[in-house]
Amino acid sequence: MQSIQDKDFDQLFKDAFADAEVAPSRDLWSSIESEIEPKKTRKLPVYWLAAAVILVVATVGILINREQNITKPDKSLVVNKVETKPVLKENQPKEAIKEPVKTEGKVIKVLPIERKSVTSLVKTKIKHTQKEAKQKVATAPEIVKQETVITKAEEPKKDVLKEKIQEAIQPKEEVIIARNGTTVIPDEVINENEQSNKGIRNVGDLINLVVNKVDKRKDKFIQFRTDDDDSSLSSINIGPFKIGKRNKNRP
Amino acid sequence: MKLAQTYTINDLMEGCRAGDRKMQELLYKQTASKMLAVCMRYAKDRMEAEDVLQMGYIKVFQKIKEYRGDGSFEGWIRRVMVNTAIESYRKNLRSLNVVEIDEAYEQPSTGFDFSQLGMQDLMKVIQKLADGYRMVFNMYVIEGYSHKEIAETLGISEGASKSQLSRARTILREEIIKMEGFGYAIYTG
Repeated sequence: MQSIQDKDFDQLFKDAFADAEVAPSRDLWSSIESEIEPKKTRKLPVYWLAAAVILVVATVGILINREQNITKPDKSLVVNKVETKPVLKENQPKEAIKEPVKTEGKVIKVLPIERKSVTSLVKTKIKHTQKEAKQKVATAPEIVKQETVITKAEEPKKDVLKEKIQEAIQPKEEVIIARNGTTVIPDEVINENEQSNKGIRNVGDLINLVVNKVDKRKDKFIQFRTDDDDSSLSSINIGPFKIGKRNKNRP
Repeated sequence: MKLAQTYTINDLMEGCRAGDRKMQELLYKQTASKMLAVCMRYAKDRMEAEDVLQMGYIKVFQKIKEYRGDGSFEGWIRRVMVNTAIESYRKNLRSLNVVEIDEAYEQPSTGFDFSQLGMQDLMKVIQKLADGYRMVFNMYVIEGYSHKEIAETLGISEGASKSQLSRARTILREEIIKMEGFGYAIYTG
Protein backbone atom coordinates (compact mmCIF):
# COMPACT_ATOMS: atom_id res chain seq x y z
CA MET A 1 0.00 0.00 0.00
CA GLN A 2 2.39 2.57 1.19
CA SER A 3 5.01 3.58 -1.28
CA ILE A 4 7.32 4.71 1.46
CA GLN A 5 8.01 2.74 4.59
CA ASP A 6 7.48 4.54 7.87
CA LYS A 7 11.20 4.42 8.48
CA ASP A 8 12.00 6.25 5.28
CA PHE A 9 9.13 8.63 5.79
CA ASP A 10 10.46 9.49 9.24
CA GLN A 11 13.98 9.84 7.89
CA LEU A 12 12.70 12.34 5.36
CA PHE A 13 11.50 14.61 8.14
CA LYS A 14 14.59 13.99 10.21
CA ASP A 15 16.87 15.07 7.39
CA ALA A 16 14.72 18.01 6.47
CA PHE A 17 14.77 19.40 9.99
CA ALA A 18 18.31 18.41 10.89
CA ASP A 19 19.81 21.73 9.82
CA ALA A 20 16.60 23.68 9.60
CA GLU A 21 16.84 27.34 10.41
CA VAL A 22 14.11 29.92 10.73
CA ALA A 23 15.21 33.46 11.40
CA PRO A 24 13.37 34.93 14.35
CA SER A 25 11.95 38.42 14.30
CA ARG A 26 14.43 41.01 15.50
CA ASP A 27 12.80 42.18 18.67
CA LEU A 28 13.06 38.77 20.31
CA TRP A 29 16.46 39.29 21.91
CA SER A 30 15.45 42.51 23.61
CA SER A 31 12.53 40.77 25.28
CA ILE A 32 14.73 37.86 26.32
CA GLU A 33 17.26 40.33 27.66
CA SER A 34 14.65 42.14 29.71
CA GLU A 35 13.47 38.80 31.11
CA ILE A 36 16.92 37.76 32.29
CA GLU A 37 17.66 41.26 33.65
CA PRO A 38 17.31 40.35 37.35
CA LYS A 39 19.86 37.60 36.94
CA LYS A 40 22.32 39.87 35.27
CA THR A 41 22.18 42.39 38.07
CA ARG A 42 24.07 40.00 40.31
CA LYS A 43 27.25 41.48 38.95
CA LEU A 44 26.29 45.03 39.81
CA PRO A 45 25.23 44.95 43.48
CA VAL A 46 28.79 45.53 44.73
CA TYR A 47 28.80 48.96 43.12
CA TRP A 48 25.19 49.67 43.93
CA LEU A 49 25.71 48.57 47.48
CA ALA A 50 28.73 50.81 47.86
CA ALA A 51 26.84 53.74 46.39
CA ALA A 52 23.88 53.07 48.64
CA VAL A 53 26.08 52.88 51.73
CA ILE A 54 27.74 56.18 50.85
CA LEU A 55 24.37 57.78 50.29
CA VAL A 56 22.95 56.51 53.56
CA VAL A 57 26.04 57.47 55.52
CA ALA A 58 26.09 60.93 53.98
CA THR A 59 22.43 61.61 54.61
CA VAL A 60 22.59 60.26 58.15
CA GLY A 61 25.64 62.42 58.77
CA ILE A 62 23.93 65.51 57.46
CA LEU A 63 20.80 64.83 59.46
CA ILE A 64 22.76 64.30 62.65
CA ASN A 65 24.71 67.44 61.97
CA ARG A 66 21.51 69.42 61.60
CA GLU A 67 20.09 68.03 64.79
CA GLN A 68 23.28 68.87 66.57
CA ASN A 69 23.19 72.46 65.46
CA ILE A 70 19.65 72.84 66.71
CA THR A 71 19.85 70.99 69.98
CA LYS A 72 23.41 71.71 71.07
CA PRO A 73 24.50 75.24 70.37
CA ASP A 74 26.59 75.19 73.60
CA LYS A 75 29.12 72.84 72.20
CA SER A 76 30.60 75.34 69.79
CA LEU A 77 31.15 77.71 72.70
CA VAL A 78 33.00 75.05 74.61
CA VAL A 79 35.18 74.44 71.64
CA ASN A 80 35.88 78.14 71.37
CA LYS A 81 37.02 78.36 74.94
CA VAL A 82 39.45 75.56 74.53
CA GLU A 83 40.81 76.80 71.30
CA THR A 84 41.22 80.44 72.28
CA LYS A 85 43.58 79.57 75.11
CA PRO A 86 46.61 78.90 72.95
CA VAL A 87 45.96 82.12 71.10
CA LEU A 88 46.35 84.10 74.32
CA LYS A 89 49.52 82.30 75.21
CA GLU A 90 50.91 82.97 71.82
CA ASN A 91 50.17 86.65 72.16
CA GLN A 92 51.99 86.96 75.45
CA PRO A 93 55.43 86.06 74.21
CA LYS A 94 54.98 88.27 71.20
CA GLU A 95 54.35 91.24 73.45
CA ALA A 96 57.28 90.26 75.60
CA ILE A 97 59.48 90.30 72.55
CA LYS A 98 58.43 93.71 71.43
CA GLU A 99 58.68 95.50 74.78
CA PRO A 100 62.22 94.55 75.81
CA VAL A 101 63.53 95.57 72.42
CA LYS A 102 62.07 98.99 72.77
CA THR A 103 63.33 99.52 76.32
CA GLU A 104 66.77 98.30 75.48
CA GLY A 105 67.02 100.90 72.81
CA LYS A 106 66.33 103.55 75.41
CA VAL A 107 68.93 102.16 77.72
CA ILE A 108 71.53 102.20 75.03
CA LYS A 109 70.86 105.82 74.31
CA VAL A 110 70.95 106.81 77.96
CA LEU A 111 74.08 105.00 78.96
CA PRO A 112 76.62 106.38 76.48
CA ILE A 113 75.80 109.90 77.60
CA GLU A 114 76.49 108.98 81.19
CA ARG A 115 79.67 107.24 80.21
CA LYS A 116 81.09 110.54 78.98
CA SER A 117 80.54 111.99 82.39
CA VAL A 118 82.28 109.03 83.93
CA THR A 119 85.40 109.53 81.92
CA SER A 120 85.60 113.27 82.44
CA LEU A 121 84.53 113.52 86.12
CA VAL A 122 85.48 112.02 89.45
CA LYS A 123 84.99 108.39 90.35
CA THR A 124 82.41 109.11 92.98
CA LYS A 125 80.30 110.77 90.38
CA ILE A 126 80.52 107.65 88.42
CA LYS A 127 78.92 105.85 91.32
CA HIS A 128 76.12 108.39 91.30
CA THR A 129 75.60 108.00 87.67
CA GLN A 130 75.61 104.34 88.25
CA LYS A 131 72.87 104.79 90.80
CA GLU A 132 71.00 107.06 88.44
CA ALA A 133 71.39 104.52 85.76
CA LYS A 134 70.13 101.92 88.16
CA GLN A 135 67.00 103.84 88.80
CA LYS A 136 66.38 104.76 85.21
CA VAL A 137 66.97 101.33 83.89
CA ALA A 138 64.94 99.73 86.60
CA THR A 139 61.92 101.88 85.86
CA ALA A 140 61.96 101.44 82.13
CA PRO A 141 61.41 97.75 81.47
CA GLU A 142 58.67 96.64 83.76
CA ILE A 143 58.27 93.28 82.28
CA VAL A 144 61.96 92.42 82.07
CA LYS A 145 63.21 90.46 85.04
CA GLN A 146 65.01 92.24 87.83
CA GLU A 147 68.16 90.20 87.61
CA THR A 148 68.96 91.41 84.17
CA VAL A 149 68.25 94.96 85.22
CA ILE A 150 70.68 94.71 88.08
CA THR A 151 73.47 93.42 85.94
CA LYS A 152 72.91 96.25 83.57
CA ALA A 153 73.13 98.78 86.34
CA GLU A 154 76.18 97.51 88.18
CA GLU A 155 78.47 97.53 85.23
CA PRO A 156 77.51 100.39 83.06
CA LYS A 157 80.75 100.26 81.04
CA LYS A 158 80.00 96.85 79.78
CA ASP A 159 76.32 97.57 79.44
CA VAL A 160 76.40 97.87 75.71
CA LEU A 161 78.11 94.55 75.35
CA LYS A 162 76.01 92.93 78.02
CA GLU A 163 72.87 94.17 76.52
CA LYS A 164 73.93 92.77 73.21
CA ILE A 165 74.56 89.49 74.94
CA GLN A 166 71.27 89.77 76.69
CA GLU A 167 69.66 90.54 73.42
CA ALA A 168 71.09 87.33 72.22
CA ILE A 169 70.05 85.50 75.36
CA GLN A 170 66.66 87.00 75.82
CA PRO A 171 65.28 85.96 72.49
CA LYS A 172 66.19 82.42 73.41
CA GLU A 173 64.17 82.70 76.56
CA GLU A 174 61.37 84.15 74.57
CA VAL A 175 61.60 81.38 72.10
CA ILE A 176 61.16 78.96 74.93
CA ILE A 177 58.14 80.88 76.09
CA ALA A 178 56.81 80.89 72.60
CA ARG A 179 57.39 77.18 72.35
CA ASN A 180 55.36 76.68 75.47
CA GLY A 181 52.63 78.56 73.70
CA THR A 182 52.79 76.49 70.58
CA THR A 183 53.02 73.16 72.34
CA VAL A 184 49.44 73.62 73.39
CA ILE A 185 48.22 73.00 69.85
CA PRO A 186 49.90 69.62 69.41
CA ASP A 187 48.35 68.63 72.71
CA GLU A 188 44.97 69.36 71.27
CA VAL A 189 45.66 67.19 68.27
CA ILE A 190 46.73 64.35 70.49
CA ASN A 191 43.55 64.76 72.46
CA GLU A 192 41.51 64.51 69.33
CA ASN A 193 43.29 61.33 68.36
CA GLU A 194 42.69 59.95 71.78
CA GLN A 195 39.03 60.63 71.33
CA SER A 196 38.86 58.10 68.56
CA ASN A 197 40.53 55.56 70.81
CA LYS A 198 38.11 56.02 73.62
CA GLY A 199 35.75 53.53 72.06
CA ILE A 200 32.73 53.51 69.84
CA ARG A 201 30.05 55.68 71.28
CA ASN A 202 28.11 56.52 68.17
CA VAL A 203 27.75 55.92 64.46
CA GLY A 204 30.39 58.53 63.66
CA ASP A 205 32.97 56.73 65.79
CA LEU A 206 32.14 53.44 64.12
CA ILE A 207 32.51 54.87 60.65
CA ASN A 208 35.70 56.70 61.60
CA LEU A 209 37.13 53.47 62.96
CA VAL A 210 36.32 51.55 59.81
CA VAL A 211 37.48 54.32 57.52
CA ASN A 212 40.73 54.74 59.47
CA LYS A 213 41.53 51.11 58.95
CA VAL A 214 40.61 51.08 55.30
CA ASP A 215 41.80 54.53 54.24
CA LYS A 216 45.30 55.45 55.31
CA ARG A 217 45.30 58.87 53.67
CA LYS A 218 45.47 62.02 55.70
CA ASP A 219 42.17 63.20 54.32
CA LYS A 220 39.92 60.25 54.84
CA PHE A 221 37.29 59.08 52.44
CA ILE A 222 34.74 60.12 54.99
CA GLN A 223 35.25 61.41 58.48
CA PHE A 224 33.00 62.34 61.37
CA ARG A 225 33.66 64.75 64.14
CA THR A 226 32.63 62.87 67.22
CA ASP A 227 31.78 64.29 70.57
CA ASP A 228 30.47 62.89 73.81
CA ASP A 229 27.17 61.63 72.56
CA ASP A 230 26.81 62.83 69.07
CA SER A 231 28.67 62.99 65.81
CA SER A 232 28.61 65.06 62.69
CA LEU A 233 30.00 64.74 59.24
CA SER A 234 33.31 66.50 59.24
CA SER A 235 34.87 65.76 55.89
CA ILE A 236 34.46 63.77 52.73
CA ASN A 237 37.23 62.99 50.31
CA ILE A 238 36.20 61.10 47.23
CA GLY A 239 39.02 61.76 44.81
CA PRO A 240 38.35 65.14 43.23
CA PHE A 241 35.31 65.72 45.40
CA LYS A 242 36.24 67.05 48.82
CA ILE A 243 34.15 68.86 51.30
CA GLY A 244 34.45 70.12 54.83
CA LYS A 245 38.11 69.66 55.57
CA ARG A 246 38.56 70.03 59.29
CA ASN A 247 39.34 73.48 60.61
CA LYS A 248 41.28 73.09 63.80
CA ASN A 249 41.82 76.76 64.59
CA ARG A 250 38.36 78.05 64.18
CA PRO A 251 37.80 81.34 66.05
CA MET B 1 26.37 36.99 13.47
CA LYS B 2 29.71 37.91 12.02
CA LEU B 3 30.98 38.97 15.43
CA ALA B 4 29.94 35.64 16.87
CA GLN B 5 32.17 33.83 14.44
CA THR B 6 35.22 34.83 16.43
CA TYR B 7 33.92 32.78 19.36
CA THR B 8 33.45 29.04 19.45
CA ILE B 9 30.24 27.77 20.95
CA ASN B 10 32.24 26.72 24.01
CA ASP B 11 33.59 30.25 24.43
CA LEU B 12 30.01 31.45 24.35
CA MET B 13 28.98 28.76 26.79
CA GLU B 14 31.68 29.84 29.25
CA GLY B 15 30.70 33.48 28.81
CA CYS B 16 27.06 32.71 29.41
CA ARG B 17 28.00 30.69 32.45
CA ALA B 18 29.73 33.78 33.83
CA GLY B 19 26.59 35.78 33.13
CA ASP B 20 28.24 37.86 30.44
CA ARG B 21 25.43 39.70 28.73
CA LYS B 22 27.30 40.14 25.48
CA MET B 23 28.11 36.45 25.28
CA GLN B 24 24.49 35.63 25.97
CA GLU B 25 23.45 37.81 23.09
CA LEU B 26 26.05 36.24 20.81
CA LEU B 27 24.93 32.76 21.78
CA TYR B 28 21.36 33.72 21.08
CA LYS B 29 22.25 35.21 17.72
CA GLN B 30 24.31 32.21 16.77
CA THR B 31 21.74 29.58 17.69
CA ALA B 32 18.34 31.28 17.54
CA SER B 33 17.52 30.37 13.93
CA LYS B 34 18.13 26.68 14.52
CA MET B 35 16.20 26.76 17.76
CA LEU B 36 13.28 28.59 16.25
CA ALA B 37 13.07 25.83 13.64
CA VAL B 38 12.79 23.35 16.51
CA CYS B 39 10.13 25.41 18.25
CA MET B 40 8.21 25.85 15.02
CA ARG B 41 7.76 22.08 14.73
CA TYR B 42 6.06 22.01 18.08
CA ALA B 43 3.99 25.12 17.60
CA LYS B 44 0.90 25.90 15.63
CA ASP B 45 2.33 29.02 14.16
CA ARG B 46 5.31 31.33 14.23
CA MET B 47 3.93 33.48 17.03
CA GLU B 48 3.58 30.53 19.35
CA ALA B 49 7.01 29.25 18.31
CA GLU B 50 8.68 32.55 19.14
CA ASP B 51 7.03 32.60 22.55
CA VAL B 52 8.47 29.17 23.22
CA LEU B 53 11.84 30.26 21.86
CA GLN B 54 11.92 33.19 24.25
CA MET B 55 11.02 31.07 27.25
CA GLY B 56 13.56 28.50 26.11
CA TYR B 57 16.44 30.97 26.02
CA ILE B 58 15.55 32.36 29.41
CA LYS B 59 15.78 28.80 30.71
CA VAL B 60 19.06 28.27 28.87
CA PHE B 61 20.64 31.28 30.60
CA GLN B 62 19.17 30.37 33.96
CA LYS B 63 20.09 26.70 33.85
CA ILE B 64 23.39 26.98 32.02
CA LYS B 65 25.27 25.85 35.13
CA GLU B 66 23.42 22.56 34.91
CA TYR B 67 25.10 21.82 31.58
CA ARG B 68 27.78 19.29 32.47
CA GLY B 69 29.50 19.22 29.13
CA ASP B 70 28.31 15.78 28.14
CA GLY B 71 27.00 16.01 24.60
CA SER B 72 27.24 19.11 22.49
CA PHE B 73 26.21 22.43 23.94
CA GLU B 74 23.95 23.02 20.97
CA GLY B 75 22.31 19.68 21.62
CA TRP B 76 21.72 20.73 25.20
CA ILE B 77 20.13 24.01 24.12
CA ARG B 78 17.96 22.05 21.69
CA ARG B 79 16.79 19.78 24.49
CA VAL B 80 15.94 22.79 26.61
CA MET B 81 13.87 24.14 23.72
CA VAL B 82 12.05 20.84 23.20
CA ASN B 83 11.34 20.55 26.91
CA THR B 84 10.07 24.11 26.96
CA ALA B 85 7.82 23.37 24.01
CA ILE B 86 6.44 20.23 25.67
CA GLU B 87 5.97 22.09 28.93
CA SER B 88 4.12 24.84 27.11
CA TYR B 89 1.94 22.26 25.40
CA ARG B 90 1.13 20.57 28.69
CA LYS B 91 0.36 23.86 30.37
CA ASN B 92 -2.04 24.95 27.71
CA LEU B 93 -3.15 21.41 27.22
CA ARG B 94 -5.76 22.21 24.75
CA SER B 95 -8.12 19.31 24.38
CA LEU B 96 -6.45 16.80 22.15
CA ASN B 97 -8.67 17.61 19.26
CA VAL B 98 -8.02 14.30 17.69
CA VAL B 99 -10.13 14.95 14.73
CA GLU B 100 -10.73 11.67 13.11
CA ILE B 101 -10.62 12.13 9.47
CA ASP B 102 -13.71 10.61 8.06
CA GLU B 103 -12.65 10.58 4.52
CA ALA B 104 -10.47 7.55 4.37
CA TYR B 105 -8.21 8.61 1.66
CA GLU B 106 -6.97 5.86 -0.48
CA GLN B 107 -3.24 5.87 -0.14
CA PRO B 108 -1.59 6.75 -3.40
CA SER B 109 -0.39 3.52 -4.88
CA THR B 110 2.64 5.02 -6.44
CA GLY B 111 5.30 6.73 -4.45
CA PHE B 112 6.46 10.11 -5.50
CA ASP B 113 9.68 11.88 -4.79
CA PHE B 114 9.24 13.11 -1.26
CA SER B 115 12.81 14.30 -1.26
CA GLN B 116 11.75 17.17 -3.43
CA LEU B 117 9.82 18.58 -0.53
CA GLY B 118 11.42 21.42 1.20
CA MET B 119 11.72 21.85 4.90
CA GLN B 120 9.19 24.67 4.83
CA ASP B 121 6.61 22.45 3.19
CA LEU B 122 7.11 19.79 5.82
CA MET B 123 6.92 22.43 8.52
CA LYS B 124 3.59 23.57 7.17
CA VAL B 125 2.07 20.12 7.27
CA ILE B 126 3.42 19.41 10.71
CA GLN B 127 1.95 22.62 12.03
CA LYS B 128 -1.38 21.64 10.58
CA LEU B 129 -1.46 18.51 12.74
CA ALA B 130 -3.55 18.47 15.84
CA ASP B 131 -1.43 19.34 18.88
CA GLY B 132 -1.30 15.82 20.28
CA TYR B 133 -0.29 14.29 17.00
CA ARG B 134 2.30 16.92 16.45
CA MET B 135 3.83 16.33 19.85
CA VAL B 136 4.09 12.61 19.45
CA PHE B 137 5.36 12.82 15.89
CA ASN B 138 8.05 15.37 16.75
CA MET B 139 9.16 13.59 19.89
CA TYR B 140 9.31 10.18 18.32
CA VAL B 141 10.48 10.88 14.80
CA ILE B 142 12.71 13.92 15.13
CA GLU B 143 13.85 13.86 18.74
CA GLY B 144 14.02 10.10 19.04
CA TYR B 145 12.02 9.62 22.24
CA SER B 146 10.68 6.13 22.86
CA HIS B 147 6.94 5.59 23.17
CA LYS B 148 7.49 4.94 26.85
CA GLU B 149 9.19 8.27 27.33
CA ILE B 150 6.51 10.05 25.31
CA ALA B 151 3.79 8.36 27.34
CA GLU B 152 5.43 9.45 30.60
CA THR B 153 6.12 12.95 29.43
CA LEU B 154 2.72 13.67 27.99
CA GLY B 155 0.79 11.69 30.54
CA ILE B 156 -0.77 9.32 28.05
CA SER B 157 -0.57 5.57 27.57
CA GLU B 158 2.09 3.99 25.38
CA GLY B 159 -0.64 2.65 23.17
CA ALA B 160 -2.05 6.10 22.70
CA SER B 161 1.39 7.32 21.77
CA LYS B 162 1.77 4.60 19.17
CA SER B 163 -1.64 5.12 17.65
CA GLN B 164 -1.22 8.88 17.57
CA LEU B 165 2.09 8.51 15.82
CA SER B 166 0.50 6.25 13.27
CA ARG B 167 -2.34 8.69 12.72
CA ALA B 168 0.09 11.54 12.43
CA ARG B 169 2.05 9.79 9.72
CA THR B 170 -1.09 9.04 7.76
CA ILE B 171 -2.30 12.63 7.98
CA LEU B 172 1.07 13.96 6.97
CA ARG B 173 1.19 11.76 3.91
CA GLU B 174 -2.25 12.87 2.90
CA GLU B 175 -1.44 16.48 3.44
CA ILE B 176 1.78 16.26 1.49
CA ILE B 177 0.06 14.68 -1.44
CA LYS B 178 -2.80 17.11 -1.25
CA MET B 179 -0.34 19.92 -1.12
CA GLU B 180 -0.07 21.48 -4.51
CA GLY B 181 -1.60 18.29 -5.77
CA PHE B 182 1.62 17.23 -7.41
CA GLY B 183 1.45 13.69 -6.16
CA TYR B 184 -1.16 12.68 -8.67
CA ALA B 185 -0.07 15.29 -11.16
CA ILE B 186 3.29 13.65 -11.55
CA TYR B 187 2.50 9.99 -11.30
CA THR B 188 -1.04 9.57 -12.37
CA GLY B 189 -1.18 12.20 -14.99
